[in-house]
Amino acid sequence: MKRWQMMKLGLILAVYTIVGCVGLAVVYNSTSKTIAQRQEADLQAGLHEVFPKATGFTPTDKVKPTNPKVIFDAAYMANGPSGSLGIALKVQGASYGGLTTLIVGVSTDGTITGVKVLENKDTPGLGANAANPTYYVDKATKTTFPGQFTGKKLTDGFVVKKDVIAITSATITSRAITNLVQVAGKAVSDALGMGGSSQGSNAILPSADTVRTSSKPVTSSVPGVSILETSVGTRAGVIVGASAKAKAKSYDGDVTVLVGVSTDGTILGVQIVECTDSLGSSILAPAFAQQFVGKKVDTALEIGRGISAVSGATRSSTGATQLVKATAEALVKALAGGGL
Amino acid sequence: MKRLFGVFVNGLIVENALFVIMIGLCSAMAVTTTVANGIAMGVALTFVLVMSELIISLFRNLIPESIRMPIFLIVIAAFTTIMDLEMRAYFPALSKSMGVFIPLVVVNCIVMGRVEAFSSKQPVGDAVADGLGMGIGYTWVLVALAVVRELLGNGTLLGFQIMPSSFEPMIFFILPPGGFLVFALWMAASNDLRRRLLAGRKPAPTQDSCCTLPDNSSAEKA
Repeated sequence: MKRWQMMKLGLILAVYTIVGCVGLAVVYNSTSKTIAQRQEADLQAGLHEVFPKATGFTPTDKVKPTNPKVIFDAAYMANGPSGSLGIALKVQGASYGGLTTLIVGVSTDGTITGVKVLENKDTPGLGANAANPTYYVDKATKTTFPGQFTGKKLTDGFVVKKDVIAITSATITSRAITNLVQVAGKAVSDALGMGGSSQGSNAILPSADTVRTSSKPVTSSVPGVSILETSVGTRAGVIVGASAKAKAKSYDGDVTVLVGVSTDGTILGVQIVECTDSLGSSILAPAFAQQFVGKKVDTALEIGRGISAVSGATRSSTGATQLVKATAEALVKALAGGGL
Repeated sequence: MKRLFGVFVNGLIVENALFVIMIGLCSAMAVTTTVANGIAMGVALTFVLVMSELIISLFRNLIPESIRMPIFLIVIAAFTTIMDLEMRAYFPALSKSMGVFIPLVVVNCIVMGRVEAFSSKQPVGDAVADGLGMGIGYTWVLVALAVVRELLGNGTLLGFQIMPSSFEPMIFFILPPGGFLVFALWMAASNDLRRRLLAGRKPAPTQDSCCTLPDNSSAEKA
């Protein structure tokens, strides 16, 4: 008897469920087309907003993902009357209240043509102002938060509260979006073959007239630091310095740096090549790397002592600083040992 | 007719879901940063509430006692999803700004509470009147909260600039603490009105047992 009772209840529940599902299926069928059209229209409007002069957009797969925490949804080549204008990239990344979706347009000359916030789930009235067309970070010129990126060069710092104006009381949102724009911008500029802001080894070793690959590899004694490639800079045949590209774990990703030191143990140039920490890409700003230049390797190279962290990315700054120090020390040792 | 009207009016002040029964506060606090969101959430919840109460009251004799909860949930979830899809298709901007709170109507205590306490025991007319009353009672509170919060916190109403440009928006009101403060002040005002409404007459014997509070007690409890 009891089993029969259970069966009966199950059947009743099943009937209610089936009726409910049929009802939902009907509504879904009648609305799914409209919803898809809306999303497509939103996307097209967004693409046209970042490339107002484009005559059409064709999907492209040229843009390769560079950072595991930033999802590249789709990339579109913007076609102008005379050839390609650039690439618009739809990106998703974490912000304060969940994933946020942007369209970032990058022109062929390495400037941001526009940023459009498609979706943002941050606090209404605060972070959500990123998507608010009437919220101005600069009331005088009526610039919205994403609007301020228009015309920005990829070689700029992208540091919130320095060259990017933050949304009031929504610094995390501001940083997250700025970071997304920068990561997307760099990926697109790589795809367009511009190399973005990256300088060659020559910029790291300004005093050398020739830079060649070293004849023996340099290793660091610091655990976790792997030196990927080493170069030697010579001037009129005499070694003046050496540079190395090194990689190590940082806060929750990896950081890669290029370091050049002279034979007298002075850091000649530093470039932060990549940082995959969440929100860590703000340390790619040249101003951070510039702090190392001219410093002696054997002096204090620590955050808070000679080197200041990029605000909002203290852990990444620390990781990068330790890596620069370890790499520079390894290079000095190798230079002193000779035979490079 | 008079009885139905009584059931309807009951939800506005005397048994207001937010101020008297004090359920469903989470979404009320979260969406009331703008008036547009408040209205949309109110309409959305009223729709789900009326439709769920209607259906469940209609089938109340065909719902076995022991599996009533899953059946209520199926009905509520179906109407919430329908409304979510319709909003996404026809009011995409609103749907975007309300985010996760629309799907969360499913677990809104007001819907579950009214369905369980009222419509599963009452005839269809009463259930619909109760749904409308509770829904509109919820909506007016959201709008009242949102008007104060949007005006003081953002200087706008329904997106239009109201305050002079010299007015510096008080972000406090947009943030949760400001929401609680505004909520408490409105609740004090509403419960004062409720006390005066009830002072003259003996409270009508309401049909549901769970949600009726003795006269005057709610303000002290709060």
